[in-house]
Parts: sequence; C-alpha cells; structure tokens
Amino acid sequence: MHELTFFRTWLPVIYLYVAGGIIFTAGMVIIFKSKSIKLSRPIHKRWFYVLLFGYFYYLGIHTFFTYAALNF
Amino acid sequence: MEQAIQTTPIFWIIIAGYFALILGFGSYFARYNKNTNDFFFSGRRFSWWLITMSIVATGVGSHSFLKYSAKAFEHGFSSTMTYMNDWFFLPFFIFGWLPIVYYTRIRSIPDYFERRFNRNVRILATIAILGYMIGYIAIGFLTMGKTLEPLLGWDLYTIIWVVAIIAGIYITFGGQTAVIFTDLAQGFVLIFAGILVFILGINFLGGFDVFWNALPADFKLPLAHFNKPSNFNFVGIFWQDGVAGSVGFLFMNQGLIMRFMATKSVNEGRKAAAFNILFLLPISTVVVSNAGWVGKAISIVTPEKWDASIRLDHVFTQVAALVTSSEIVFAFIIAAVVAALMSTVDTLINAVAAVVINDIYRPIVKNRSDKHYLRAAMYISAGATLLGVIAVSFFDNFPTLYEAHGFFHSTMTPPLVIAIFLGIFWKRYTTLAAVSTFLVGAILMYLGNKYPGGLIGPFDHGIEMDPAHPYSYIRALYNTLVCLASGVVFSFIFTRKVEVKIEKFTAGVIVSAKAHLNNTEQPISIVGRIYYTLVWGFTNVINSFVLNAADEEKLDGITVWTLDKAREMFKGSKPNDTPGEEPIVEWKLEASDESFVRFSQAQMNEMAANVGDLVYLSDKRRWLGGLKSVHSVYAEPHDEDGVVYMTSDLIAAGMFAEGRPLRAEKEM
Repeated sequence: MHELTFFRTWLPVIYLYVAGGIIFTAGMVIIFKSKSIKLSRPIHKRWFYVLLFGYFYYLGIHTFFTYAALNF
Repeated sequence: MEQAIQTTPIFWIIIAGYFALILGFGSYFARYNKNTNDFFFSGRRFSWWLITMSIVATGVGSHSFLKYSAKAFEHGFSSTMTYMNDWFFLPFFIFGWLPIVYYTRIRSIPDYFERRFNRNVRILATIAILGYMIGYIAIGFLTMGKTLEPLLGWDLYTIIWVVAIIAGIYITFGGQTAVIFTDLAQGFVLIFAGILVFILGINFLGGFDVFWNALPADFKLPLAHFNKPSNFNFVGIFWQDGVAGSVGFLFMNQGLIMRFMATKSVNEGRKAAAFNILFLLPISTVVVSNAGWVGKAISIVTPEKWDASIRLDHVFTQVAALVTSSEIVFAFIIAAVVAALMSTVDTLINAVAAVVINDIYRPIVKNRSDKHYLRAAMYISAGATLLGVIAVSFFDNFPTLYEAHGFFHSTMTPPLVIAIFLGIFWKRYTTLAAVSTFLVGAILMYLGNKYPGGLIGPFDHGIEMDPAHPYSYIRALYNTLVCLASGVVFSFIFTRKVEVKIEKFTAGVIVSAKAHLNNTEQPISIVGRIYYTLVWGFTNVINSFVLNAADEEKLDGITVWTLDKAREMFKGSKPNDTPGEEPIVEWKLEASDESFVRFSQAQMNEMAANVGDLVYLSDKRRWLGGLKSVHSVYAEPHDEDGVVYMTSDLIAAGMFAEGRPLRAEKEM
C-alpha cells in the first residue's frame, strides 16, 4: 500500500484532465475548423453540448470518488 | 494442472446449455445474411441501442473479467482507469472517423489507406492490422483458457484448442448479424452476471458498510499512484490505454468499426458511441472489477475463507465460487463470462475474414459470385482461429493477462493509430510520410525495445524500469511520439510537390533503364544488365509509392476537411438537411425493375423530402432495432396518403411482413 501523498491522490486526477483536456480541446478545435460540426444545425448543437457534458461528467466522477476515498 | 474448484455434472450441463442457447440465438439471426455485405456489415440498418448493447459484450469480453479482477484485487478501485478515459477522443471519433467510414463506405481500414494514399500503403496497413487482430484473438483465447483452467484441471493449451474449435465453428457459419445479436443478448447477461456477483459478494461480507470500511483509503482511490509500481501506475496506463488503447479501440478495431457501419445512420452511430462511453463503460468497469474488490474485502474480513495461494488471474473464478451459494448460479456466471470472451474472439475472427477477403483475396480473385467469397470467408475464419491459438504462447510469458495486453497495445497500435490519425486530420500528410510512419516508426520502436533505458527512459515520468518487462506501459508514449515524429518530419521533407517531382524523375529512370535493357542494336554486358535491372526494379518500387501524388481530388471525402464532399458522394447529390417528421405508412407493391419508393406529396412535405433524397424504412416496431428495414430513394410522389409504394427487391431486402406498417425517415 502507498502513502497518501500528492502523487497518490490528486496528481493523477490533475494529469488526466489536463493531458486529456488538451487532447479533447484539440479534437474540438479540429472538428470546428474543418466544419465537420456546424452549430447552425440543431442536431450538431446538441452534440456539442453532449461532448462538453461528457468531459465534465467524467471529471466530476473522478473528483467525487477521490474525495470520497479520502474522507469517508 | 490440479482442479482447484470442484464441480459436478450439473455445472457442465448448465455451461453446455447456456452455450447452446446463445449459439442458437445467433444462428437464428444468421439467416438474415444474404450476401457478403450482410455477412460483414449487416446491411447498415440497426438502431443505436442495439449496437451499443452489442458493443458491451465485445468491450467487456476483450477487457475481461479475469484481468480486471486480478488488478482490482491487487490495486483496488483504480482498476477502473482503463474504462474511464475514452471520452477525450470522442470529438475526433464521432465527427471525424465515423462519418468518413460511413459515408465513403470503406470496407476495412486498409481500404481507407488505399483511398487516402495508394495500394502499397494499403499492403503495409493490412500487415499491421492483421498482426494486431491475430494478437487480440490470441489474448482472448488465453483468457478463456485461464478462466476454465481451475475448473477443468486440464492443461491450458488443451482448453484453448477446445474453445478455439467451438469459436471457429460458430463464426464460420454465423457472420456479423449473428455476432451482433449474440453480443446483444450477452451484453445484458454480462451486466446482470457482474452486478449479481457484486450483490452476492456484499451480502457474503455482511453489507456495504462492512465492504467499504474493510478497504483502506489507498485501495478506494479511482486512479493509481502516479508512477509506482512499474507494473501498475497511472501515467503509464494513461498513455498505454487512455491514448494508444482508446484510439486503437475506436479507430482501428475492425470489429468495432463494422458494428458502427451496421448502424442505420451516422447519427445513430454517434448515439451508440456516446451512450456506450457515458453510461455503459462506467457500469461495465464495476461489472468486471468488483470480484477483485470483493475478494480483497473477504481476504481482510474473513481471511480463513480466502485461499491466499491463488494465482491473480484466478481471482474472479475464486470469488464467484465463494459468493455464490448455489452451483447453478456459479455455472451461469462462468458460462456468461466464457461466452462473452467467445463473442470478442468471434468479432475479431469475423473482422480478420473481412480484411483478408476485401483487402487481399477480392483484388486477386476478381468477379466471382458472392457465394464464392462467402465460402472463402469461412475458410479464412478457420485459419484466423488457428493462427490465434498458435500466437497464445507469446502472451503466456507475461506475469498477468493485464500486462500482456498492456505490452501488446503499447507496441502494436502506435504506427497504425498515428497513420490513421494524421491521414484523417492532417491534409499535408503525404504517402511517403505514411510509409515512414510504418517503417521508420517500426525501426525506432525496435531500438526503444532494444535500449529501453536510453530511449524510453527520458519519457518514463519517474517510473522504475523492470528489467524483465521494461516499461510495459509508458513505452506507448515513446512509441507514439516516434511514429508521430516520423509522420510529421517526413511530411515536411516529402511534400506533395516533392512527391510529384520524384514520380516524374522515377518514371524517366524507368523508361531509360527499360530502353537500355531492351536495346537489341547495342547489347549491354552482364554487369550492365544487372545494374539496369536493379535500377529498374528499385525505381519501380519508389515510383509505385508516389503514383498519382498530384491528384488532390483523391482526398475528397476521406479527410475531416472534406466531409461535406463525403456526404454528397454518399447521396449522389447535395444533401437535404431540412428536419422533417417520421410518418407511419402501409406498404404496397409497385411493379418495376428499378429500385425505389414512392410516397404521397403530402407525406413528402411532412418529411421535408424531395425526389432523389435518401429514405430509411423500418418495421414500425422499434424493439426490432431495425432488423427489418431497408434504405432507398424517393421517386416521384403519388396521391394516396398513408401508403408507400415499394419495389419487390426492397420488400425482400427489408423482410417486411404483409400488413405490418412501416416507419419512414428521411436520411439526407
């Protein structure tokens, strides 16, 4: 078992959502610049919100479970 | 090996019964395979929910109860990491790769490489993709063998041969429709079985509080330690699984791509992918890992009941045997797990057959009947099964299945992943750069494998190097970077203009060398003949790689920058994106040799459809998931509201029953 240092607790969460966030943002930029996604189309607008929701949904899950493991 | 868990004949009767049921279920739907298009792609007709559930069995099977239970027992809730890091690539997938694959009707990943680059790159991609899939099949067989090992007490390889024969027979006669429906059933069964083990485990321990409080905080953290230990650390697994694995699974898993190509539209494919990642993967990760968590809690709360000498890959089987008080329930759980693995392997075997038929066999043996190609696909399925079994011994050398899988992903996926990725998203990526990604990338990866301390070490994020299996996970970062660097650097060196110059130059050299060789007036010496033959051969190879380099139109529809063109090519005219209604109509036969459907003008208006637009007609019953459906084109309208006139070929293809109403949807 490891000691509950920063390397064990919050660093992985930060690294995951910063490195993952860079990849995610790059993807969003490319699909916007290439006009693969067009916010003028209602169905695409919904997808844009779904994509953003997914990122924060997973961020929420990992943050919640890290907090729960350390405090409950 | 000694039989560690005792079983009675009832156990084996239930296992056999479960398999018979699942195989019967799949075989029933195999009758919907009418041609190779149905055998491989299921005719592009299914709803998102059917596809997303069938993906569960493929994903869960391939990521297996065994390996996650083992890691969950050792490292706790962080065993869930690999299922919870796929969202980052979703924009690339659902608005990049998925529409390209769907609209350009690409039959396989190598097919994409030929359209994006040329035939030679396709050959390189075919070799790489077949190696990847055969490796995956081998890991599937090894997992099945290890699941059954403590129950049968047989030699591992005897078990593998037996399951391989069953898998081979099934897929040979089933095809993609059978696999989709078998996986659909198994998706539900697997989730049920996994949750059942968790509930029974919590009950066995005496309640959720006992379970939660027994486990230390470190064990309950959802992500692993940043860089320790070398065989399970966050940063290594992020690059191996979150990056190489996620992209590999979404972008180059032919089996998965074939599933998405079986959806009725791109939007349905997007829904299937998003729903799967948002909801089914978090559930799946609990389903596959919980036996390890429960096992750890049992070993702490009631150590006398836990066999501490057990091998890690047998944790799942041990926990399932302990927490299920009845042999019938235990048999059901084992059957569900083994059958799921069978599904994963079957999907891959079917995918190998698709690649070999479409990328190797069909270009060589042209213009044969569909029946001929179907028979060839069956032989290839059998051959892929055999190769998978032979490849098992390589992966059996790793301490656990998890590490074998990790090494495999880190090594096999980067060149293909980078080539696909740059091909889709970067217009400047040229043919010679793609070749360099494979060849120079492979050389640099080999050097990394040979000198891990010197080459992979600088990227290790502080992970300690295990001399027996150096950098099993973080090597994915090094491998991805060297392949990416090869692709980018060579794209700047061999620009399209340079490729055109090389094409012209080599064409001139070929003509000149040929002229020297064929010159009968001034015959050349033996040395000269050898020299010109070598020059001719070498320049021919170079020339074949840069052929048609100037042709920019070949990029239409196959990069994310030209998707509108892809949609237009798919439809054959400008897409109509005006939203419309989805009316329910009765069908009537229209006598004609051509293939079309006709609606009333009022209903055309309701659907906001024009003559020439694409339409999807399906049985009104949504629960059929599109099994009875067909795609067609709107022809000139009539004046009978509530009726669609269809030609006989469409009625047969849609398998529409007399008197059953249909739902009509304008596609584009």
